[in-house]
Amino acid sequence: MHHRIVQSVLVFFCAAQIGWAQEFKFLDRTVQVHGFVSQGFVYTDQNNWLTMNTTQGSGAMTDMGLNMSSQITDKFRVGAQVYDRNLGQLGQWHPSLDWAVADYRFKNWLGIRAGKVKTTLGLYNDAQDLDFLHVFALLPQSVYPSDLRDTTIAHSGGDLYGNIPFHHHLGDLSYTAYAGHRSDSIYSGYPYLISDFGFYLRSFGGPQYGGDARWNTPVKGLMIGASRMNEKITAKGSSANLLEPSAGLLPYEATTKTFWTNQYYGEYLWRKLRIDAEYRRCYINVPYVPGSDIGIDTRGWYVSGAYRIQKHLAVGSYYSRYRGTNTVTGPAAALIPTETDPGLPQNHVYDKAIAARIDLTHFVFVKVEGHFMDGYGLGPYPDGFYPQQNPQGFKANSNALVVKTGFYF
Amino acid sequence: MKPLVRLLMTAWITILAAQFGQARDIKVIANPSVKAGSLTVSELRGIYLLERKALTDGSPVEPVLQKAGAAHEAFFKQYLNRDSEEVRTYYQRLVFTGKGSMPKRFGSDAEVVAYVAQTRGAIGYVSAAADTEGVITLSVVSEDRKPRTLLSRVEPEYPETLLKLRIGGTVRLELTVSPKGAVDDVVVVGGNPILGEAAVKAAKQWVYSPWPSQTKIRVAIPFEPHP
Repeated sequence: MHHRIVQSVLVFFCAAQIGWAQEFKFLDRTVQVHGFVSQGFVYTDQNNWLTMNTTQGSGAMTDMGLNMSSQITDKFRVGAQVYDRNLGQLGQWHPSLDWAVADYRFKNWLGIRAGKVKTTLGLYNDAQDLDFLHVFALLPQSVYPSDLRDTTIAHSGGDLYGNIPFHHHLGDLSYTAYAGHRSDSIYSGYPYLISDFGFYLRSFGGPQYGGDARWNTPVKGLMIGASRMNEKITAKGSSANLLEPSAGLLPYEATTKTFWTNQYYGEYLWRKLRIDAEYRRCYINVPYVPGSDIGIDTRGWYVSGAYRIQKHLAVGSYYSRYRGTNTVTGPAAALIPTETDPGLPQNHVYDKAIAARIDLTHFVFVKVEGHFMDGYGLGPYPDGFYPQQNPQGFKANSNALVVKTGFYF
Repeated sequence: MKPLVRLLMTAWITILAAQFGQARDIKVIANPSVKAGSLTVSELRGIYLLERKALTDGSPVEPVLQKAGAAHEAFFKQYLNRDSEEVRTYYQRLVFTGKGSMPKRFGSDAEVVAYVAQTRGAIGYVSAAADTEGVITLSVVSEDRKPRTLLSRVEPEYPETLLKLRIGGTVRLELTVSPKGAVDDVVVVGGNPILGEAAVKAAKQWVYSPWPSQTKIRVAIPFEPHP
């Protein structure tokens, strides 16, 4: 583990030497090279968070990415990015192809991207790893849970996209429609959570399709939009024999019967001020064991504001609410209790956050952020808090301090 | 009450004056290949947010940025209503999500003018005082005043003698266009007089979209001996 951190630090400082030298010529084409590294430290006063031992203070929060892209013609562009992260028990330094696209723009109103494409869902889904873009060290976890980034981050397939201006000063509409295949890392939050229940996944993924439409309204700086995603996800692996534990592991395979996500959002920009608001609802119905279905209903929303006080200093705050409930039918109901009261701390996380971002140079930033959380939203679908790191049980409230620094070019 | 109203009026006028001041402090320039004489604010916004890769006539455009400076700040504040840091973040987001490339960025007005002058479809911004030899200046109009579009264009004939001698250059013309769209008058405001004569002859045959009143439009016509 330590040599990975040393590697990250070396990459960080080498990158710092590169500075703006981020273009080179290849076959008479300009190739742009960009990258980032970020390192965080988290301390919580009660529950351990995001699969780290945060009550002791944890620095197991590193991620990095490197991309290359080239505009081949005025309409055709190609590029790819590799990404690696370690967040507590997640990621575990297994690099992945984050995106790799060929993009052709026929007209302003029609373009096509194919390959592994970052999924457009709400304001920040495709940019949730890109810490240097945000004032906040952690985006509102009710809508962008860091531990579940794999569930929405990208699909292998294609997008149709474009921009359509409206007449009569009614602004313009940007749209994306996509279809593809999602494939989660087995080192992501959901496989990690259910390993505690005796399910060990080898693969987790399936087809995914959806769309997004965002309207730049005639009100200067105001954009509103909506996204929809449908999925059919299959989990394959092995599970403990619940009836006879000494009999060893059994093959396990389950496919979701229903899986959709709706997201509605608005963004208001006025020079140095940014105000965002989003609502996401995700519903999953999956056979847990033969004869037993579990329906998981999660709803999250937040309102955030950020203001750049001066070139090197920005501040922000948000209020984020996550509520998750589930219903279990059949024999599994005896093992997993149905949770229908979102008012209970195990079924919600209400988070008030304040943050400051200091840009030391054009390439290096430091963020300091405080979180004041009510609830731990355990349920059958995680939202930051895991039993594996909290064997002593959960406290109803947790406060957190997050410090993050990073470099990008 | 009256002093308060006066104070508010003064503040409002100051804000308006400051905004108009900003607009006057910058020029939006383009390569002579860009046929539009003007752009609406939303067209310019679409080009700089990389949502529009082509103008309404289908010709490709490439936005060019300055790295910093007063013109850079004023441009994004005035036309995109965004802080320059916010704009930088916007481009980085496109780059790191695989949804766009970082536009070319230059350190000075002169570098922007030089790049725009030699790059087909390039559009940039410079301070009002900058020397804009070799590029055309676009007017940016509000949505209420859509630009007059060129409906019919006749290309000038290259004077044979100059073509043989490989003499080229850019001719700048000021056209007086009637409300119906006909070019009533053409004045050469810059460039080789022989090339100017050919350019005038062609421009007199151009037709623009109708407009409530007579308008003056400045255009640049490049003559390249090595096409």
